[in-house]
Amino acid sequence: MAARKWSLLLCWHFAFCIWGFSQQVPKTASWRFHSINQAGLLEGEVGSAFQIQTINGIQHRTWFGGIGLGLDYYRFRGIPFFLDLRKAFSFSGKRFFVYADGGIHFPWPTDNEKGFSGNNFFNGFYTDIGLGYELIPLAKNSWILSLGYSYKKVAEGRVDAFCPMGGPCNVNRYRFDYELNRLSIKIGFAF
Amino acid sequence: MKKIIAYLHAVVLLLLVLVPVSCMKDRVNYTYTIETPVLQTLSQVRAGIKTGPIKPIENAGKIYSFGKYIFLNELERGIHIIDNSNPAHPENIGFINIPGNENMAVKGSMLYADSYSDLVALDISNPLHVAPTQFLSNIFSNRSFYYSNSTNPDSILIVVDWIAKDTTVDYNTYQRYMSCSGFAGCWYPAAYMSSVAAPAASGSKGIGGSTARFTIVGDYLYTLSSPDLSSFDISTGNPRAAGKVSVDWSAETIYPFKDKLFVGASNGMSMYDILSDPANPKTTGKFAHARSCDPVVADDNYAYVTLSSGTQCQGFENELDIVNIKDIYNATLTKTYALNHPKGLAKDGNILFICDESEGLKIYDASDVNNLHLLKHFKDASTIDLVVNNGLAVVLTKNGLYEYDYSDINNIHLLGMLLTLKV
Repeated sequence: MAARKWSLLLCWHFAFCIWGFSQQVPKTASWRFHSINQAGLLEGEVGSAFQIQTINGIQHRTWFGGIGLGLDYYRFRGIPFFLDLRKAFSFSGKRFFVYADGGIHFPWPTDNEKGFSGNNFFNGFYTDIGLGYELIPLAKNSWILSLGYSYKKVAEGRVDAFCPMGGPCNVNRYRFDYELNRLSIKIGFAF
Repeated sequence: MKKIIAYLHAVVLLLLVLVPVSCMKDRVNYTYTIETPVLQTLSQVRAGIKTGPIKPIENAGKIYSFGKYIFLNELERGIHIIDNSNPAHPENIGFINIPGNENMAVKGSMLYADSYSDLVALDISNPLHVAPTQFLSNIFSNRSFYYSNSTNPDSILIVVDWIAKDTTVDYNTYQRYMSCSGFAGCWYPAAYMSSVAAPAASGSKGIGGSTARFTIVGDYLYTLSSPDLSSFDISTGNPRAAGKVSVDWSAETIYPFKDKLFVGASNGMSMYDILSDPANPKTTGKFAHARSCDPVVADDNYAYVTLSSGTQCQGFENELDIVNIKDIYNATLTKTYALNHPKGLAKDGNILFICDESEGLKIYDASDVNNLHLLKHFKDASTIDLVVNNGLAVVLTKNGLYEYDYSDINNIHLLGMLLTLKV
């Protein structure tokens, strides 16, 4: 519940930033291809995990919209596939951006994660919202650093038959629904 | 002013970013099934063995054809009675409740079935009012667990069913709850507990599938309960234990042809002579093969053995072996045919039927065993076992029963079906 409140607050800031700084953003060329490639860490209750993403799309002035694909190793290995929307703005001469990702997380569990029983995994919602900073702005390229809140949902299930000595077997169904809240720190190169 | 508000938000945002990672909690919901066993005394179980209302076919086991009826085992629960007067429209008309039932055989008006380790004789003159006439206790030793402490049917408790209830809890709470181990009142969910017949020689007998463990020849009922091949005299209707011989531990199917019994085991097919002493089958030979599941059927000259791979039988072969049994003491392999994943099979005259699981039903002209000719291939469903008689093939599939008319081998066609009702 705390994480949900926190994400709502971030959304509010996201909206505010877009409104508040929209007049101060340096305009860039209209309608050009833009690629963002980044790697980073996911910090959550069970520790740190590696993540990597590539986002490719179209930039129009200070707005960017694209499609992203990544690898997310937090708790269960998976492939997030998402839409990315971001807005750039300037503040005290520095260049910032806010971003929001939303899509589907496709589990790609390792043998170890599947366990001895070969558990089944199911797709779930994926989102990542946050704030970024352009570390070394170049002419059209830049190194970027971002920090945000990331969430993925993963379901894990298994069906077992439990047979006592004689008598009918009963079928046991297990399902774990994981709602994983993480702090997302990424560094990358955009061109 | 706008700049001050912007700075204020930037500061708030920075604070949010610096929120300790410890605030990032994962939420895990655990959904599991709480299973409560339904217990009955052996006396109650026996009193409940009778025809009841029809039930959906959920987990079909062995199949048996008798006259206009098909008896279809519902694993561990009983027997569906299917009126097959019109094969185009088979009708489920009743269910004989027999807890612990896996096998059956029919002769005349008597049906012989297992109920856990007991052998039950039932009068089926009126299939809608079936009643047991005799119980033989503790016959099938490999399922006689509940006789260990008592032989009094009023004190022996048996699990006859499970009541399931799905529950979703927060996993952390669940773990704390489960830590009450050792205290009275702890309720352990299932997840926790788990860690812990033959071609008719006469018109009065039924026909079982090739995976049967019960069969009737003459006045004898033969049952296979590894490692025992037992015989019962049923000349008077009610069974009387007659003899018992040891067979391979992995024996799993029994098939009679004339005066012989063919026993399929996971390491080979054994043949027994029942002519000289029907009560005590005498071994005559064995055809050994690689470890596999192997239902078998036979005729005067050849035995047809399907080998299939799988975890239960451990083998890797998926094939049909045709074995020359003209010299019963010296069976030899004649030819092998590759198959997908064969299960049950049947033979009527020169027509050979093979249930090749996901590839469906394959029907061959077997007049030349060295050159089987595929007559028809039905891919309607994943097939398991079948019985054939008088131009009608009743095929048990994963979807239910399918019936094929093969009276004209040039026009073999699907007649009707009775589909499984998954619940």
